Amino acid sequence: MTAIQIQGLAKAYGDVTAIDDLSLSVAEGELFGLLGPNGAGKTTTMKVLTGQLVPERGQVTVLGVDPVEESTAVRERVGILPEKESPPSFMTPREYFHFVGAVRGIDEATVDERIETWADRLAFSEKLDTMSTDLSRGQQQKLMIAGAFLHEPAVVVIDEPLANLDPIVQERVKRFLREYREAGNTLLITTHDVDVAAELCSRVGIMYGGELVADVRPSELSADERLLDVFLNRVDATGDRR
Amino acid sequence: MTDGRTRRIFVEMVREEWRMHSRLFRGGHFGLFPVLIGLLTAGTAWLLVTTGTDSRTLFAGLHALVFVFGLHTGSIGFVGRDTLQNLLGELTLLVFSARTLPLSQSRLLGIFVLKDAVYYAGLFLLPIAFGTAIGTYGTAGVSAVAGGGLLLATTLTLTFVLGLGATIAALGLSRRGVPGLAALAVVAIAVGVALTGGIDVVAYTPYGVFLAQTPTRIAATMATITALLVVGAVTFDPSEPRSSRTVGPAFRRWCHRIGDPVSTKTLLDVHRSAGGFGKVVFSAAILFGVTAGLIDLAGQITGVSPSVGISFGAILGLSGFTTYNWLTQSDDVDAYLVHPLSVSAIFAAKFRAFLLLGPVVGLAFYALALLRRGGPVGEALVGAVLLVGVACYIFGTTVYLTGLSPNEFLFDTALFAVFGLAMTGPLVPVLVIGFALAPVSTTLLAALGAGGVALGLVGVGLYRRSLPKWERRYRRE
Repeated sequence: MTAIQIQGLAKAYGDVTAIDDLSLSVAEGELFGLLGPNGAGKTTTMKVLTGQLVPERGQVTVLGVDPVEESTAVRERVGILPEKESPPSFMTPREYFHFVGAVRGIDEATVDERIETWADRLAFSEKLDTMSTDLSRGQQQKLMIAGAFLHEPAVVVIDEPLANLDPIVQERVKRFLREYREAGNTLLITTHDVDVAAELCSRVGIMYGGELVADVRPSELSADERLLDVFLNRVDATGDRR
Repeated sequence: MTDGRTRRIFVEMVREEWRMHSRLFRGGHFGLFPVLIGLLTAGTAWLLVTTGTDSRTLFAGLHALVFVFGLHTGSIGFVGRDTLQNLLGELTLLVFSARTLPLSQSRLLGIFVLKDAVYYAGLFLLPIAFGTAIGTYGTAGVSAVAGGGLLLATTLTLTFVLGLGATIAALGLSRRGVPGLAALAVVAIAVGVALTGGIDVVAYTPYGVFLAQTPTRIAATMATITALLVVGAVTFDPSEPRSSRTVGPAFRRWCHRIGDPVSTKTLLDVHRSAGGFGKVVFSAAILFGVTAGLIDLAGQITGVSPSVGISFGAILGLSGFTTYNWLTQSDDVDAYLVHPLSVSAIFAAKFRAFLLLGPVVGLAFYALALLRRGGPVGEALVGAVLLVGVACYIFGTTVYLTGLSPNEFLFDTALFAVFGLAMTGPLVPVLVIGFALAPVSTTLLAALGAGGVALGLVGVGLYRRSLPKWERRYRRE
């Protein structure tokens, strides 16, 4: 079954083309990585998928729902971790989860249970009642990760999942993402870190200049072939072509 | 200061202020703001004087507004760090750099105040002063306009610095424990005693200097400003690290009462950001004070007491604008759109929070005005209707023009002009009736009551009509 389907997608900001005729599909249970340099169109793709942006052209479905027409319905089913967003400054992590729970209609007892699980998993129990604006960037990232998974969605879209995290927490997050995928869920992560993509993803789409320039399964690369080389070759080739 | 560093820091601070405003208020339009301000003040001053308003009322009101502007500006750089951080991301202003650069805190603070005085004098106070002078003395010739404008620009700038210094000194003292708070209380009590004891305190302010340029007044004014700045420099440290704040969970309790998570978050944002709900009360208190002053002055000059209900009702309704500003100060549409919330649902939540806060605070001050000054029951009832109607009208107009970014009004010339017209159209006739035609006849009261209801309905209509526009815009940018 296909979880995410994109066909002929195009999006521009004024004269700047962000996505140019992008097509791809992600099957249920995949951990798909969108890899690309800054400005490749990864974040824009993610925003279109979650109904935050309307494209100029193309068809998109997430779990069979069109995010352009039914953006709220898509966001009900999907978990989103944007790269640049911070939790609300004047709420504590506990209150932020209460807020997410209320918006998503999760009962309070379940939310409380999941808060404990996530605080334990990412080691922020002692920060649960600290105002978010006073947390470090790393702590805020932990909070946003937990918020994206609080309703245990079947599809999660994550922009730079390991940004600002220390190595210990990075390992915990990686382990969790793998386990979440193994439970049958679909994850789409965007990253410009080749090592993260190679290590985590079952499939990697390389984006450059708004186009998908390669679709690679890291596990199928030969012993003398690295994802970094594939990435650099495709990006260089596309750059030369232009 | 022979090493040129002071001049360099001053120039960089001015540049920093300009860039901050350009980023906040989207560049180009911001630059035209002084021109519009000059034209608007000239037109307003001319209109008011032509229709019989005493110029003293105009000048007094102008100095009062600039004093409040100074108080507010002082707090933006320091108290409002949270707010600026929300709008601009992680923020470090040059005034905070004493910890990383070999510069003394007092020197930085001095340059900061000088920068604010020069920046705001050039961009706003000069256009206001000369606009007012043209509108007031225009028929008396160029030299009268130049002389009056120069004097007004000088006293308005001093008034601005007085407000700025008062904020910095008060903040500095309030952070120095019990002795600082005690000193603050002594000053507040002394001013209160002087005011109630019949001492003409205002005579020793820049406004007093505007009225009569005697050596005593000039010396007293300069001494007050200097004292405030010295106290501020000695007691205030803007780079003081902020302690990590821990609070008990309140969201669920509030949400159960309010009934909507986004409204609850909005009200929590206001409550926990610098100044808390006090800033909403403060904004309404300023309007309350200005209205009281204008009513007294108009009564003294014309011998006719304005209508308490109509005047206070219409003017306190204007607090809706600052209330909506506070309710959206922490907002970023993208942050809402990661949740299953539509743009319409976000605005509906804002409106609910607005109704719970804005008109309620306004009506509290309105009740205070009625208790202290009395007035006919009919005017009191119609005034209350006007207050709620004007507040809803401002909400709707602001949402229609700026969505979740009402700050854009402040320096976006085109938006400000449209907003100004939208406000003056319905409000000027109401204020003319309230100030000049009291006691108000039954027929006029009925018309005003109907007008208040109509304004409220227009406001709600504008807000609802704008929703598709914002839905489209926020999902295309």
